[in-house]
Amino acid sequence: MRHVRGFDVVRPLSIWMLIFTMMPLVFLPLASIFIFGTSSGLGNFWSALMAPEAVFALKLSMVTSFWATTFNVLFGLFAAYVLSRYNFLGRNALIVTISLPTAIPTAVAGFALLLLWGPYGTLGRFLRPQGIQVMFTAGAIVLANIFVTFPLAFGVIKPVFDTMSRSLEEASATIGATRWQTFWHVTLPSLRGAIVSGALLTFARAVGEFGSTILVSGNLAGRTQTAPLYIFAKFNEGQIEAANAIAIVLALFSFLIFSVLFFARDWLDVD
Amino acid sequence: MKAQLARIMHESITPPLPASVPQPAARVVGVSKRFGKTSVLENISFDVAEGEALVLLGASGSGKTTILRIIAGLEQPYTGKIMLHGREVTELPARERGVGVIFQSYALFPKMTVEKNIGYGLRIRRRRRKEIKNTVNELLSLVQLEEHRKKYPSQLSGGQQQRVAIARTLAYNPEVLLFDEPFGALDAQTRVHLRREIRALLKKVNVPAIFITHDQEEALELGDRIAVINVGHIEQIGTPREVYNNPATEYVATFLGAANILEGTITRGHVVVGSAQMPAHLPDDRFHEGQAVKLIFRPEDVLLSKTQEFPVGHACLSSGVVEEISFVGAYERLRIRLEASGGACETSDQPYYLTTETPERQTAKPVIATRPKPETNAFRLHAGDRVFLGLSSFTILPNDARTSAASQPIINPAKQ
Repeated sequence: MRHVRGFDVVRPLSIWMLIFTMMPLVFLPLASIFIFGTSSGLGNFWSALMAPEAVFALKLSMVTSFWATTFNVLFGLFAAYVLSRYNFLGRNALIVTISLPTAIPTAVAGFALLLLWGPYGTLGRFLRPQGIQVMFTAGAIVLANIFVTFPLAFGVIKPVFDTMSRSLEEASATIGATRWQTFWHVTLPSLRGAIVSGALLTFARAVGEFGSTILVSGNLAGRTQTAPLYIFAKFNEGQIEAANAIAIVLALFSFLIFSVLFFARDWLDVD
Repeated sequence: MKAQLARIMHESITPPLPASVPQPAARVVGVSKRFGKTSVLENISFDVAEGEALVLLGASGSGKTTILRIIAGLEQPYTGKIMLHGREVTELPARERGVGVIFQSYALFPKMTVEKNIGYGLRIRRRRRKEIKNTVNELLSLVQLEEHRKKYPSQLSGGQQQRVAIARTLAYNPEVLLFDEPFGALDAQTRVHLRREIRALLKKVNVPAIFITHDQEEALELGDRIAVINVGHIEQIGTPREVYNNPATEYVATFLGAANILEGTITRGHVVVGSAQMPAHLPDDRFHEGQAVKLIFRPEDVLLSKTQEFPVGHACLSSGVVEEISFVGAYERLRIRLEASGGACETSDQPYYLTTETPERQTAKPVIATRPKPETNAFRLHAGDRVFLGLSSFTILPNDARTSAASQPIINPAKQ
């Protein structure tokens, strides 16, 4: 290849190659959602979005994801604290177990929950006579979300814990603080960035969850149908516009979350 | 259980303090510590008086940091106890002890400003806002950081961070201040400057302090007293002068400054090294005729002379030949080989002893001497010159590694 002085050919070439590869794989599918969704006019898009079942599905997705996120962030914080502060037999086994759900297919996760909590499941069969039903409710969706997003917040928070100097906590203790005061005033502020990123990641993942929710929720429109399930159902019924309206909202939503994660990372780990 | 039993057993054999001694600010009594099966501290005992600065000096791995952590309550002793102003705190957690620890890394809270850091101890004690504000203001002016109050620790220099760390502990009137290698993270110049500052600050606030360091110069300058720690036990504890001039063990002599060590024997009230001999006043209870001893003296205690005539207060050791002279700035360093035979000083009141018991190779060991500039100029020496060595001060220790910790024989002709 001929070299022009002061001009690096590889640079523009590799940038264009990157964009070109991503085009059919990522950009075009995303673009088609927007193009199709708005092709019959914004009015149609709006009315499809405002359909009661659609609104319900979006709300249900947000609420269940919110609770799953809340639980997993708190749990991730606790687990990270225990697993980075104490050394005990089986510690590594626990770390692997916590990380496992990411590697399990989501359909398997949903199936496993059904086998446990379902009407004839290991635990569910004892709950059924008491009139307690776990599966096919919003609670089941939260359980499924918790399961599949389990390691995300933990995975972000634990490394920060590991690198945090022990002497900060020891200093706080010698100054006279209780463990709780130390955690609240010293440890937690240093974890702020990790907690926010962990929460956003968990939430984004939970809102999009499909495989496990479709098994455990029963997919009942207006009752246990989340946004991704709504898209699937409407697509199967041939109502492409209805499915597409929600698809746009979900795509924009994830775009927003990841923009925050990317552009606010300086703020997230200010020292 | 085992630890408790050992502690109880130990208490009974700990000698009580003499009644005349005022209550010390901090007492460490018979503390030992094990990590698994390795013993890191053995029967450590010392007191720190009110307003006193004690330096724990030792090489890395000597266990000095563990002592500090035990006093702070960050580590539990295996046996022994910790008393702060007469109150036993051995079983208390760190937060109830009221000690101030200045960590090597300073451990300032990164998300708090300077004033928040300083006020932290009062905030968690739920003091009134006005009181916190006043105390923080006083401390800021004490450590001269008023204009940095709104800054975060990462915006401060090492020395400034250290002052914040000190102010942060002073805020809650600590029983004792513990400094863990306080100048380890700083460059040499800042170090010298800061330790003078801290010394002055401590005198001002009059809080007892325990420093940990491996730097002998730092120890001499910072401490009212120095405890030299070697593999988990205290070799010697005393004022910088005592520890430097009258080292109780060979370890202390060599760890604190340079030392010449010659092996000899006791013969008729003299220390005999090779063919050289020196009169020495030896306490009868510690030394006996024919005992193997070590003669220890510092390079600056050696006075060189062309003749055997030495000023009063100097004892003539032997003659020797200058092997090498090196210029090291403030002074001159000489390597002198003692003469194997015939080098002994003649003394008018003492007969000449020729001994065969001491190993001849001792005299072949070179002695290091240093001379300050005025002396160098007055009396020039060159390699190959024959000189007499006089000692202004020396120490004789039994030549027995096992008794070294307990020995305290100090002979100083300059004082006699």
